[in-house]
Amino acid sequence: MKQLVLDITKDAPPRFDNFIVGANAALVAALRERADTLADHLLLWGAHGCGRSHLLEATTAAARDGGRPAIAIDAREAGACLPEDEGLLLAIDNVGALSETAQIALFNSFNRAGSLGQTLLLSADRPPLGLPLREDLRTRIGQCLVFEVLPLADDERASILHGMAERRGLRLDTDVVAYLLRHGRRDMPSLLAVMDALDASSLEQKRPITLPLLRELMQRGLDI
Amino acid sequence: MSREFWSYCLSQLEQELPPQQFNTWIKTLHAEDGDGGESPALRLIAPNRFVQQWVRERYMRRIVELGAAFFGVEPACELALPAAGAARPAAALRPATVSAPREAAVAQTETPAVSMASDVAKLPPRRAEPERAVSSEAAAYDKTRLNRDFTFNNLVTGRANDLARAAAMQVSQNPGSSYNPLFVYGGVGLGKTHLIHAIGNEIFRRNPRAVIRYVHAEDYYADVVRAYQQKSFDVFKRYYRSLDLLLIDDIQFFNNKNRTQEEFFHAFNALTEAKKQIIITCDTYPKDVQGLEDRLISRFDWGLTVQIEPPELEMRVAILKKKAEADRIDLSDDVAFLIAKNLRSNVRELEGALKKVVAYVRFHGKEITLELAKEALKDLLNAHNRQLTTEHIQKTVADYYKIKVADMHSKKRTRVIARPRQVAMFLAKDLTPLSLPAIGEAFGGRDHTTVLHACRTIAELRLGDPQLNHDLHVLTQVLRG
Repeated sequence: MKQLVLDITKDAPPRFDNFIVGANAALVAALRERADTLADHLLLWGAHGCGRSHLLEATTAAARDGGRPAIAIDAREAGACLPEDEGLLLAIDNVGALSETAQIALFNSFNRAGSLGQTLLLSADRPPLGLPLREDLRTRIGQCLVFEVLPLADDERASILHGMAERRGLRLDTDVVAYLLRHGRRDMPSLLAVMDALDASSLEQKRPITLPLLRELMQRGLDI
Repeated sequence: MSREFWSYCLSQLEQELPPQQFNTWIKTLHAEDGDGGESPALRLIAPNRFVQQWVRERYMRRIVELGAAFFGVEPACELALPAAGAARPAAALRPATVSAPREAAVAQTETPAVSMASDVAKLPPRRAEPERAVSSEAAAYDKTRLNRDFTFNNLVTGRANDLARAAAMQVSQNPGSSYNPLFVYGGVGLGKTHLIHAIGNEIFRRNPRAVIRYVHAEDYYADVVRAYQQKSFDVFKRYYRSLDLLLIDDIQFFNNKNRTQEEFFHAFNALTEAKKQIIITCDTYPKDVQGLEDRLISRFDWGLTVQIEPPELEMRVAILKKKAEADRIDLSDDVAFLIAKNLRSNVRELEGALKKVVAYVRFHGKEITLELAKEALKDLLNAHNRQLTTEHIQKTVADYYKIKVADMHSKKRTRVIARPRQVAMFLAKDLTPLSLPAIGEAFGGRDHTTVLHACRTIAELRLGDPQLNHDLHVLTQVLRG
């Protein structure tokens, strides 16, 4: 009989201490600075799955821990108004997805940030020059301190997978990670999706995560 | 004594500040007796570092002013953090003025251990009266919504903006009578806002009693909406018609907002009739503004319309140098030239690039050099998202080594072909998230172990082969744009 699995994830909330810094030390230092000081606005950009959302969440959480009001908003959920709280660290994820009205709202936030003491923290999938936004907003974003989130090396990806397995209480064979990095797509979202599938299957079948389990899943159609 | 003063201070600030500000920042502070020796002293404890910095920059001066009114001389005010900070002897504290946030911020990065724990505001005792006059002037200035940082002194002039600047100077010397309205237009990020703030600041400097208001068109619209909701159009009208100088930014945002345009039309008429100055900015020439009533557009022609054009290279270099000077950064000509040459369209992105260079060298604890600037701007100068494909990598590598693209897929194993093919596989693994089997497939249906072998071979060879290492650097740079 198949074991039914409760749909609960045990991953730790995104924080600086569970972000693998890799080549992004300067970026992380700049973000930590913004968590508790009135520094310049910052934009970080990088390909899907490079950790943009993680970094925005981590920074706003660190700000709140240090007493600074902070909020992270997904651009698709931003409306005609953005918060006008004083001293707020306002993070907006994936600014390329802002609607036309939300673009004006962010434009207004840029103009008001000085008097409200807000710091804007933005993320995008490309550098400001290529963002498909109103020109007056795009150039304001270009005025921010801009960082590219640099992709991780394979061994750093492996250590993320092992860290995640540890937090979930899983036993993960090093062979499995090596196999995934050798045979599968190596971007983090793809790797994490495979890990989720392995995790669910290991619980269902009460088997540890090993190469035979992975192969079995692949035979059943899992794409890696 | 200092606790009595703090109660007085609280009651004053509660009246002066909006409740949200008072509750967020002031009420969270806790007063202790300060160690000022003979002279009065106040020691405030902020719950955390952010509140400490915020209060220091925004309210400390006012608290010191209130102290001066209360004691007759300015008290020594200290703003500290709890626990560790409380045990720190007063003698070890670093004196700092509260009026210079930039200096405080710089000092903070230099000596974090001291300044994070506490900060002392020790100003020489002075009589309270002149301070009060300054304070009312400061309050009047706050109401203008002007930005102190934008003045004529730090506005870089060149062919792109000299006419606009001359007109702006003229208006600030004779507001209401020279050019009314002054209509400034130009593309985004060219300094329109800087110019009109400079006019406002100059007029305020010449006449601190002038009632000035800078408003962004979107905020003016928000005021109209609020007046609607609160049925307070009388107050709204009275306020905007009482101004001596109205600076309205980005009028193109009035696009199709009919009630806003109507209110502005009436305010415009009332102000110009009373010989009060109006200054407008827009992203296009008045007649080209979309969704604006003809009667407004025709009125914009009454005064003078001036354009700001994109700055030429020399002016962009000058802007960067000025900006660096204001931030006390040593910026050499070649680095300024590198940034100015690569970022052409607007001033904002120049500034972004400068910030990036400064952040980079500070993080690495070095001085700004051309090489470091290039390194820092590597990703900024890359305009396009790099969605690299194996085809693109194969073509670039084949061109570089002067072989045919078809050789990337062929079975030939001669060194002149096999090595570039391995390089291309290595780069495909490095620069794309594709799986190794997918890369093998793209190289003529090769096995993933062949790709793996190629990657290992190239990674090992580059360590001992400077030419190959150089090739890889060049190719990576070309591919990344």
